[in-house]
Amino acid sequence: MSTTKGLVFDIEEFAVFDGPGIRSVVFLKGCPLRCAWCHNPEGLEHRIQLVKTLSLCAGCGLCDAAFRSSADCTNCGHYVSACPTGALRIAGTWMSAQEVAVRIQRHETLLRLNHGGITFSGGEPLMQADFVLAVRALLPCLHAAIETSGYAPSPLFQKVVAAMDLVIMDIKIVDPLLHVKYTGVQNDVILKNLTLLKSMNKPMRIRVPLIPTVNDTPENMTALAALLKDAKNLEKVELMRYNQAAGAKYAGLGMLYQVDFPEKQPPRLLTEIFKEVGILCDVL
Amino acid sequence: MRRSLSQAEWQDISTKIQDPALSLADRAALRLQLFLEHETIVKKPGERIPAYRTLVDFPDIYAPGEKERLQKGHYVHEQGRVCNISSDWEGVLKDGLMARYNLAPEASRRTIDAVLAYADRYEMPGLSSALRQGARGYLEALQAFRILHFSLWASNVYHNTVGRFDQYMYPYFKHDLDSGRFTEDEMLALTEEFFRSFNRDSDLYTGMQQGDNGQSLMLGGCDREGKNAVNELTYVCLTASLNNRLIDPKINLRVNKDTPMELYVRCTELTKQGLGFPQYSNDDVVIPGLVALGYSLENARNYTVAACWEFILPGVAMDIPNIGAVSLADSVHQVIMRDLPNCNTFECLQDKVRQELFSRADALEASLKPLWLEPAPFQTVLMSDPRQDISLGAKYNNYGIHGTGFATAVDQLSAVERYIYQEQLMPADDWLQALSTEFSGRSELKHTLRTQAPKLGRDTQSETIADRLMNDFADSWAGRRNERGGVFRPGTGSAMYYVWHGVKLGALSDGHMPGEPISANFSPSLLVTDVGPLSAISAMARPQLSRVINGGPLTLELHDTVFKNKEALTKVAMLVRSFILLGGHQLQLNAVSRETLLDAQVHPEAHRQLIVRVWGWSGHFIQLDKSYQEQIIQRTSYSI
Repeated sequence: MSTTKGLVFDIEEFAVFDGPGIRSVVFLKGCPLRCAWCHNPEGLEHRIQLVKTLSLCAGCGLCDAAFRSSADCTNCGHYVSACPTGALRIAGTWMSAQEVAVRIQRHETLLRLNHGGITFSGGEPLMQADFVLAVRALLPCLHAAIETSGYAPSPLFQKVVAAMDLVIMDIKIVDPLLHVKYTGVQNDVILKNLTLLKSMNKPMRIRVPLIPTVNDTPENMTALAALLKDAKNLEKVELMRYNQAAGAKYAGLGMLYQVDFPEKQPPRLLTEIFKEVGILCDVL
Repeated sequence: MRRSLSQAEWQDISTKIQDPALSLADRAALRLQLFLEHETIVKKPGERIPAYRTLVDFPDIYAPGEKERLQKGHYVHEQGRVCNISSDWEGVLKDGLMARYNLAPEASRRTIDAVLAYADRYEMPGLSSALRQGARGYLEALQAFRILHFSLWASNVYHNTVGRFDQYMYPYFKHDLDSGRFTEDEMLALTEEFFRSFNRDSDLYTGMQQGDNGQSLMLGGCDREGKNAVNELTYVCLTASLNNRLIDPKINLRVNKDTPMELYVRCTELTKQGLGFPQYSNDDVVIPGLVALGYSLENARNYTVAACWEFILPGVAMDIPNIGAVSLADSVHQVIMRDLPNCNTFECLQDKVRQELFSRADALEASLKPLWLEPAPFQTVLMSDPRQDISLGAKYNNYGIHGTGFATAVDQLSAVERYIYQEQLMPADDWLQALSTEFSGRSELKHTLRTQAPKLGRDTQSETIADRLMNDFADSWAGRRNERGGVFRPGTGSAMYYVWHGVKLGALSDGHMPGEPISANFSPSLLVTDVGPLSAISAMARPQLSRVINGGPLTLELHDTVFKNKEALTKVAMLVRSFILLGGHQLQLNAVSRETLLDAQVHPEAHRQLIVRVWGWSGHFIQLDKSYQEQIIQRTSYSI
């Protein structure tokens, strides 16, 4: 299992918003959702990509071929070192579970001393569930959390959740039609997995990215509160303010960021709706 | 209310204080006397802390050309004046100036008369008596400190540090609180007013850059018996600084393995303000290190910091903690260029680096004498033993030597070890050719060196090389004595030398290119953009630090978003505590966002208040020279 490979686009040390204590977060590349507001476009495609720092780019065109390819960028190293201004870097590295575990273990004492652990994030880590389980198996004594959209076959979801100490799950929109419109996928499997999670006696947190006018509405929050009010294993709901710099990384990947909601409008912080049904609710 | 002297006044004063019949000490005393006599007394309604500097400039004690003649053949440190030491604030505030009157040299006595005369013009009975016989309460002690510190600046001594404020002020603070003279809120308000007074004249007290004025204040630590000395005043000072949000005084904190989280959290709230402080020093590493250098245990336990981060001792030391610097980055580079083809093993190359450090130490040591220091009769009064002019020396007369470009030095060695000695990627001559031609036509090699080669802070294989370099640097200065009988204290600081040494560096074995800035102090190279805070604190907390204990912190840049809520802020405090528990010596944390800095360069008018840590002090970003701004922007690229 330790030879199982995963496509990783970052390992962040000292993450403070991804579970209890000081944590290291493994970001896995690839996501089945296409949320209109995604601020991490590097995590969307399950393949190695070239990223351009536009402010450094001299426009020489040397790297255009790489950007046109839709397959794994197998020759990326060549482009990166050939770029005369150092404007290119690679997003995505194939790493074995062993390699990732060693990186995390280097700071195991510090992570444990500070009541933290490892968090799997993405992209959607469940797209690489075997890899997540393989890394987890190599770090049995460390607190492990997963940040997931919950969009995965239920048996797989259940298997990974069982191996974690904490599940941090996004519920973006409860209304099925709006969910399709803004994320590109149906939410039936997500809501089914939420029901499953509630029954699993596993500590959980629910996160909602607050997108102005899209899901910061009383309808959405009330519907969510109703779904959660009987969840005994729910620690809290975390409302995440929309990141106004969400579009910053798109151009560097040759992508376009376009949204139909008022980005600058401050989102409504309807924490009371949760508090009224006895759910702890924080705003991040 | 500021004024310049008229031409007639300037001429008249110059004639008096440049009188060739007077000794330099007498001239300095007369200069202070006339300075204070010409000062205007400024009282503002409701203000309890006295003194404003109204004279923008004042003549020097040398006749035209005389200074150059006298200093010829000497080593002149910076301005040639006493600076960057810590006064015996504890003793002076307790006993008053008159207790020292009969001990002090004649010139020093005249400065006491001058300072008392100046203070008396404020017509504050408590102040006058505190200065003469010692303070009885907190307000008097603060007023007396203000006059003494103000007079030190007026006496042409600079980088006037504040020392262990919460220790020497505590008896007065506690007395007033216990006796009910002031409530806790009033004590806080008073402390805030006192802290604000450090900012009244500071624009006139420039060092290398605006903001580099040395007004560092130390909190926490232990007492003479080694017991925890954190007290209520420690917390009041942190709150006062937090509320003021001003650049001075610059807060430092002494911590150890037992320091409670509560204190770290309070300090992190201060870090969140983005002022670049507090800076932390680890007693568990620093005190044994100072004792190993020859300081008595009792004195070592009383350490504070100089203008930046050098560890200095109040009252008893005429140390010059920044007298010189060795460019570690250049030492390694020169050895590679000279000896790489001749060394069949990496150990051989490391031996050559060691030899290079010894020969650079020989040359630097020889250049530092005879030392020129102008007499400082008033600073003399403020020392524990005022019997001889402080410029002639004190109980400790040690010299600090910075080691600059530490990470760049280690990274060059790591790259050579891996690619030449382990992987035998190319012959040594090819390597040197690539460096001489600044990687022309070798962009892949350059890229590999910049991003793939082992880097200190990120990759563990660099750590043994770092340990050996630290030991070699320490050995190269061990056993040497300066002309005053003091020892040399090598350290991990760079001060402004990172700029001076940095611009001289060409293409290096770590992929550094000519003209690129290097990191300041004891921090990972600026070429590493993917070093995480956990890796950085683990890698930089080295046991060898106690051998290079002149001072020089690891600097971490944290993006300001990690201070967003109390939970996250507590985690930053946990990170700081972890570094201390791992055995790190000194840490300086910044809360800044790269976007803000870039915007400040374009729209300076919108960022007048933006304060950043430079190399050992905090300054207003928009007032810094461009080269300093650029270095700070580059180092934030590895903030999380």
